[in-house]
Amino acid sequence: MSHAEFEAFVRRFQDMVFAIAVRLLGNPVDAEDVAQTVFLRAFQRFDAIGRSPAAAGWLRTVTRNACLNHLSRYRNRLHLFSELARTDEDAPAIPYEAAMASSESQATAIESDEQRQQLQEAMSRLPDHQRVPLVLFHYEEMSYQDIAALLGVSLGKVKTDIHRGRESLRKYLADPDASR
Amino acid sequence: MPRVDLEQLVHEELRRLPSPIAPRTLLPRVMAAVQAWAARPWYARAWFTWPIGLQVLSMAALAGILVGAVVIAPGAEQTVRAAIAARASGISMAVTSAARQMEGGVTAARALWRVLGEPLVPYAFAVVALMALACVTFGTALNRVAFGRT
Repeated sequence: MSHAEFEAFVRRFQDMVFAIAVRLLGNPVDAEDVAQTVFLRAFQRFDAIGRSPAAAGWLRTVTRNACLNHLSRYRNRLHLFSELARTDEDAPAIPYEAAMASSESQATAIESDEQRQQLQEAMSRLPDHQRVPLVLFHYEEMSYQDIAALLGVSLGKVKTDIHRGRESLRKYLADPDASR
Repeated sequence: MPRVDLEQLVHEELRRLPSPIAPRTLLPRVMAAVQAWAARPWYARAWFTWPIGLQVLSMAALAGILVGAVVIAPGAEQTVRAAIAARASGISMAVTSAARQMEGGVTAARALWRVLGEPLVPYAFAVVALMALACVTFGTALNRVAFGRT
């Protein structure tokens, strides 16, 4: 195994690993730390996974687990998977379709970028216990059951947290300033 | 809005977001970490990657420790038992004089306690109670302010 070969491997997968990490953690600095840890683990097993077609899947799984470990280690575990509800009920109830439709039909390209930025910001502002299952469901395409098993929580809690996360996104998008 | 509609809308909008791109600093960081890991000293690596001489030496040391434990332990036990038996005969004489000395010591300690210790007991309890109360108050405040627990 050569360092050049491994460098090519990192170049190939760095965006994927970083994207998973930054979505799950909501923080680019932590995501970079986690990505570094993941690639160091990949280097330690590079003989086995370097040329394997399963390398991407292996990296996805290791990144996911590393992010969850990071969250549980550096933040309060009770907070991460707690039932604590935000006071979403107070936010204005502008329909999500309306917000999205306006960005689609009336907005210029710049406004569309703004809308995207708002959505990204809203995602990173979600509490961990909502953002993590939401990302696992929508980006990692995991089922509710798999998410519940991975996080060690009940199926009902996963569904509730994901739904609350979606509702929060809708409200952030409807009125980003009021939600801060 | 029905759950299914909201799910589909959020899914579509999230999937349309541009994928985050790794910062330029990531690759140099990873390569530096990899080089540091590859350059770590032999004793920080897995045993089977040690130089062959050190592997042999460590095996010999381990075998020495095991043999030593097996051979020396019974002999040491016998020696200790013999030493205890020799001491036991002299102990009965020593016990009587030690008991007398201890009695004198206890009497002196009691007198000192009555004069110096007893008057301070209520104050000591008050200090301990106040410290416990302060700890509870601080802990509660920390929980609420720092961790947001109620």
